[in-house]
Amino acid sequence: MAEKILIIDDDEQLLGAYREYFSESGYEVDCAQELEEAQTLLAHFPYSLVITDLRLSKLAFGGLEVIKHVREQSLDTRVIVLTAYGWPELKSEASAAGADSFLKKPARLRDLGLAVDKVIGAKA
Amino acid sequence: MKSILETILDPMALSVCFQPIFEIRGGTKHIDSLEALVRGPRGTNFTRADILFDYVRRKKAEAAVDRTCVAAICNAASRLPVETRVNVNVHAATLGHGSGFVEFFKRHVKERSLSLDRFTLEIVEHAPTCNVPQLTDSIIELRDSGVRIALDDVGLGQSNYRMMLDCHPQYFKLDAYFVRGLAGDSKRMAVVRSLVALAGMLDSVVVAEGASSEDDLLRLAEVGVTLVQANILCPAMPLEELQRLGHVPDPKVVAYAAPRQRPFRAVDHREHLRMAAGQSFYT
Repeated sequence: MAEKILIIDDDEQLLGAYREYFSESGYEVDCAQELEEAQTLLAHFPYSLVITDLRLSKLAFGGLEVIKHVREQSLDTRVIVLTAYGWPELKSEASAAGADSFLKKPARLRDLGLAVDKVIGAKA
Repeated sequence: MKSILETILDPMALSVCFQPIFEIRGGTKHIDSLEALVRGPRGTNFTRADILFDYVRRKKAEAAVDRTCVAAICNAASRLPVETRVNVNVHAATLGHGSGFVEFFKRHVKERSLSLDRFTLEIVEHAPTCNVPQLTDSIIELRDSGVRIALDDVGLGQSNYRMMLDCHPQYFKLDAYFVRGLAGDSKRMAVVRSLVALAGMLDSVVVAEGASSEDDLLRLAEVGVTLVQANILCPAMPLEELQRLGHVPDPKVVAYAAPRQRPFRAVDHREHLRMAAGQSFYT
């Protein structure tokens, strides 16, 4: 059965590109544009992996809320954080919240794909 | 670009299905009423109702979405035979926050040339806080207009004893959790039996949701439950499909025989509800 991924970013175009790329790579992909949408999906579906932007809409660090929510729901779900911020303390905070991996935005699809395969492979 | 909530708040983006509530007596059944069930916009994450309303509650947008649902349901209900009763879900928070929902509901029903006494509002609540006096005022106004009140999901979450007293519903809708598998579970049977007895003492009628077998239906009949809503009898489906299957006549094609209306005992719900209004807020 295909691994299920949730991708969270407030950029609709970017989400479309992610969806297409990872669907073609054999993953089952859901997308969310805001925190509450992500929280709702996480409450209803089990995901192998969550990829989230750190900044969501008006929430500068909405991604941190996502990570905390993921960890409340499941210890098995892996989390990759995308962020344009380069602050080390933010990375530490996200790691403490339960993030498994980081990528700097803008990330090339191929690099993100490799990170996903690595994280999912590590899980298996 | 429209936000997700703005997309959901467009009544034209929502679709309405109906699930019959059957009255079953002496081996015969007929449709008592139809529960209107809203589905979210197609092609979004919110097509499923449970996901749609979970999201709405997280956004604290129950009142706005309840209005949108009413608009969509009134549109759909205008294509039903004029005698068909319709159940509509509404959050207690919507009725309890002075959001003008009652006026909105009455206006929309009238604009569609529908009659208020065809409607039952099913009160759902997932949050523990509610302004009881405002909720009570809304219920009094609705009941005075001929609208019936049901308490949904009885036995679970916030549909508790307090809501029974505060809402004084004419119907208890027993959650499927208590009904599914009733036949093989003496403890579930005990819970259902007690709720039926309680409903009777509170001048309410029980509607059982989610029976999953003929045996469940037999056990419900045994404890005196005559109103049943269950997928094994008929799942929720678009009106056109209900008409095609013959569950609901097409008013344009067939003369419709009015379903029997079950009379309610003339109890003074106002006095009871005003006692509830003496409370201030849930805490």
